[in-house]
Amino acid sequence: VSIRFQLLLVALATLVLPWAGCQYARELETALRVAQENALLASADTIARALSAEPARVFPNPDDQAFKADQGDLYVYPLHGEPLLDGYRDDWGIPADLETLASSDRLVARLQAGMTDRYLFLYVEVDSAHFTPEPSTVHPGSDRFDRVDLDLLRPDGTPAAYFFATTAPGLIGATSVVTGADGVARTASEPRIQAFWLQNSQGYHLEARLPLSLIGPRLWVQVTDGSSGATAGFTATDPPQGGRLFLTTPGLAELLGTFIRAGTRATVIDSNSLKLGETGELHPRDLGEGPGPGQSWYRRFMAVDTSRWPLASSAPGRLEGQSVSAALAGQSHAEWLRTGSQELLLSAAAPIVVAGQVRGAVVLEQAGDQLLDLRDRALHRLFNFTLWAIAVVVIFLFGFATWISVRIGRLRSAADSAVGNDGSIRLSMPESASTDEIGALARGFERLLARLNEHSQYLRTLGGKLSHELRTPLTIVRSSLDNLESEGLREDQRKYVTRARDGAQRLQSILSALGAAARVEESIKQAERHSFDLRELLVSAVGAYRDGFPGARFELDMPPEACFMRGAPDLIIQMLDKLIENAVDFCPQGGLIGVALSRSSDHYELAVRNDGAPIPDAMLGRLFESLIEHRQGHDDKPHFGLGLYIVRLVAEFHGGRASAANAPQGGAVFTVMLPLI
Amino acid sequence: MKKLIAIVEDEPALRDNYAAALSRQGYQCKTYANRRLAMQSFVSHLPDLAIIDISLEDEAEGGFDLCRELRALSAELPIIFLTARDSELDAVSGLRLGADDFLTKDVSLPHLAARVAALFRRIDALRRPENSAEIVRRGALAIDGDKMQTTWKGAPVTLSLTEFWIVHALARNPGHVKNRQQLMDAANVVLDDNTITSHIKRVRRKFQQIDADFDAIQTVYGMGYRWVE
Repeated sequence: VSIRFQLLLVALATLVLPWAGCQYARELETALRVAQENALLASADTIARALSAEPARVFPNPDDQAFKADQGDLYVYPLHGEPLLDGYRDDWGIPADLETLASSDRLVARLQAGMTDRYLFLYVEVDSAHFTPEPSTVHPGSDRFDRVDLDLLRPDGTPAAYFFATTAPGLIGATSVVTGADGVARTASEPRIQAFWLQNSQGYHLEARLPLSLIGPRLWVQVTDGSSGATAGFTATDPPQGGRLFLTTPGLAELLGTFIRAGTRATVIDSNSLKLGETGELHPRDLGEGPGPGQSWYRRFMAVDTSRWPLASSAPGRLEGQSVSAALAGQSHAEWLRTGSQELLLSAAAPIVVAGQVRGAVVLEQAGDQLLDLRDRALHRLFNFTLWAIAVVVIFLFGFATWISVRIGRLRSAADSAVGNDGSIRLSMPESASTDEIGALARGFERLLARLNEHSQYLRTLGGKLSHELRTPLTIVRSSLDNLESEGLREDQRKYVTRARDGAQRLQSILSALGAAARVEESIKQAERHSFDLRELLVSAVGAYRDGFPGARFELDMPPEACFMRGAPDLIIQMLDKLIENAVDFCPQGGLIGVALSRSSDHYELAVRNDGAPIPDAMLGRLFESLIEHRQGHDDKPHFGLGLYIVRLVAEFHGGRASAANAPQGGAVFTVMLPLI
Repeated sequence: MKKLIAIVEDEPALRDNYAAALSRQGYQCKTYANRRLAMQSFVSHLPDLAIIDISLEDEAEGGFDLCRELRALSAELPIIFLTARDSELDAVSGLRLGADDFLTKDVSLPHLAARVAALFRRIDALRRPENSAEIVRRGALAIDGDKMQTTWKGAPVTLSLTEFWIVHALARNPGHVKNRQQLMDAANVVLDDNTITSHIKRVRRKFQQIDADFDAIQTVYGMGYRWVE
C-alpha cells in the first residue's frame, strides 16, 4: 500500500471532527435549554409577584371559587370581535370542543359560552331525532316541545327565566316566563335576547345573544326534548347553587402584554386552571433563514429524543400539565412539552399568592423551535466548516504524501542507479541537503556509497600494492635459489631447486598479473596520443592472434576505408589483447571469435564476440570492475579479473566506454565505443 | 685486480645474495644498507661499479640522491638501479640521473651478472684504441658492439644498457620482426610487454632528439618491432 493511500486513510480520521461537533452541539442545546428554562421561570416568578400585588386587576371574583362543572358552572370564553348571529359558531374563533351538559336522561346536549364587551353568546347543540315545534299557545308548565331554558340572576340578584323555542328555524326572540302572584306562569316576548335556531340531520343548534346588562353572576341552561320529555343541564335553585359564570378578567391581557417579550405567550389562570387572561404569540417573529433543505437530516440523527415528553394541553379554556399543577400547589416549575407537530414548547408556571393563598398562576410559554433553529444553524455552519477543513486536510495530506513519495522515489531511483554499468559509483544523492529523515537517509546512502567507493578504489589499487609488496620477498627467494644452484648441487638436490624455482616463477607471473592494471594506469599517465589507422592495427593484430591462438577461429569484419582515430595504439593493442584473451578463454576449442569494427557518426564500435556460454545477467554490469572474475573453469594462468578492468581503463582514456552483453545468436559480446577523433 | 662492486640495498638477504653471486663471478663486493654509509665509503674510495636500490631504509628516494652524488664524484662510474619499483617514472628519473641501467628485481642473478660483465666490457672497450671491426652499420646507424656505443648520422645516442641491446637486436637483422620475448632475451632481462613498449618509446625519443624524422623502428601491431632502413 503506497504512502499516499496510507495517509489518505489517516485523513479519514478527521471525520471524528463532525462527530465531536455534533456532541458539542448537543451539549450546547442542553445548556441553552436549561438557560431558557431558568430565564422563563424567572420571568414567570417576576410577573406572578407583580400580579400578586394587585389581585383586583387579576381576579374578577374577590374570593376564590372552585369551578364545578357538574353544578352548571360555565366558563365564558372571551370573544375577539362580535360574531354574526347566524346559528353557527365558526366565527367565534374558539377551537375548543363544546361542553356536554349533564343529563339524567339520554339526551345529549352541548354548550359553549362566549363574551364580548356587550353581549354574552351561547351556543347550544342538541341531538334530537324528532323535532317538536312550539305550540301556538304556550303553557310553559305543561306543554311539551323542544326548548332551551335560561334561568339567571339579574345583576341586582333577582331571578329571571327565559326559554327559546320555535315553530320554524330562523332568528327568534326569547320568551320570558313570569310567574304571577296567582302562581300561574305566563309568557312574554323578550326581544333583547335573541337566538338563531337551525335544524340539521342530528337535531338542532342555536346561537343565542344576551346583553350583559341583563345578566348577573349566575346562569343556568337546560335543554328539554319535546317528544320524550328528557332534559339536560341545570335549572335555578334556591338558594342558588352552581350556574356561576367564570369570566376572563378585562384588561388583564393588556396588563400581561406589558410584561412579556415577543415570542412568549403569557397566560394567567385561576386556581381552577381556567384562563383569566392571555396574550402573546408563540411564533411572532421570523428567524430569518429557515431550516435549509440540508438541515432536516441533521435533526433526524441529531435531535434530542422528545417522544417521551408530555403533549401540551390543547384545551383553549384551561391549562393543564405538570408545571400548572405544581404552580397551583405553590411551586414554580418549568417543563418541556411537545405540541402535536414536531414543535417544542417550554412552559414555565409560577403561583400567584394573595394573602397567603394560591389564587392562580402565571404560565409563560415559549417555542423551543428557536433553540432548534439556533442549533441547526450552528450545526449547519459546523458541517460546512468541517467539510471544508476535511477537504483541506485531505488535499494537504495527499499533496504531502505525494511530495514524500516523489522524494523517496527519487532517492530510490538514484540508489538503484548509483552504481553504473561500468562500475563507476555516483557519490551524491538527491535530497541529501534536506534536514528531515529522508535527507538523513540520503546522507546515509551517501556515506554508504563513499565507503563502497573507497572499497572499490582499494580493490583497484590492491593488485598493484600486493605485487609491489610481494616483489622483494620473492626476489629474495629467487636470488637465493640462483645462489644455491651456483654452489653446485647434486642431481637429487637440483630437482627440488627446480621445483622451488617453478613455484617462484608462478608466483612471479601471479604478481605480474596482479600489477598489470597498475602498470596500465601508469602507462596511461605517460601515454601520448597520435593519429593512427584503427583498421590497419586490427588487420595486423588479428593476424598475430591467428598465429598466437591456433585453437580458435578469428573472423574480422571491418569497413573498407581507413579508420583514423587519435589515441595510443599501444594501449589499444593492450586492450585488444585483453579482449581477445578473454574471448579465447570462454570460447570452446575451435570456436569462433568475431572481431568487428563499425563506424557511426561520432564513434567507432569495436566488438569482440565469442561462442562461449552466456554471462549471467547479474554479472554484466560488474565485469569491468577491478578484481571481478567470472571464469568458472580452471586453467594454468592466474586470473584476477583485471583484464576487463584494463579494457575499461583504456576505453575511458580514449573518451570511450566498454560494455558487455549476451549476443542474441549466443555467446557474449564485448563492445568498446571509441570516439572518432 | 678484482673489480670492486658496491651494493647499496637495505634488504640484508637480498644484499648478501647479490654479493654472493657477484663474488662467485670474481668480483669484490662491498655492501651498504643506506645512503649515508655508502657515501661515507665512496668519498674515500670509489668502487668500479655501483648497484643501487631506490628506496633505502627511511629514504624513499635515497637511491636517486645517492646516484646524483655519485655522478658528481665520477662521470664514468657505471651505475645500475636495481629496484622493486617498476614504474615508468622511476625508470625515466633514474636514467636521466645518469644511471647506465635500470633493472627491476625480477632480474635473475645470472642476468645481473651478465649486465655487470657487459658494463665492465664497455668500460674496457672505451679505454682501448678504436677497433672498427666490431662496428655494425645500418644506414645512418652505427653500433659499436664492444664499447656499446651507438651513433645516428655520426652523433652519439646515449642509450642505457637495456636500450642498447634492444637497438642492437633490432638493427642486426633489419626488416625482421622481433617480438617482445626476443627483445627481452637480447636484453638479458625479464620485463613485461609494457616495459618493452616504454623502452622502445624511450629509444625512439632519444633518436628523435638527434633527428626529428627518425622512424627506423616500426611497430608491428600484435607482433613486435622491426628495424627498417
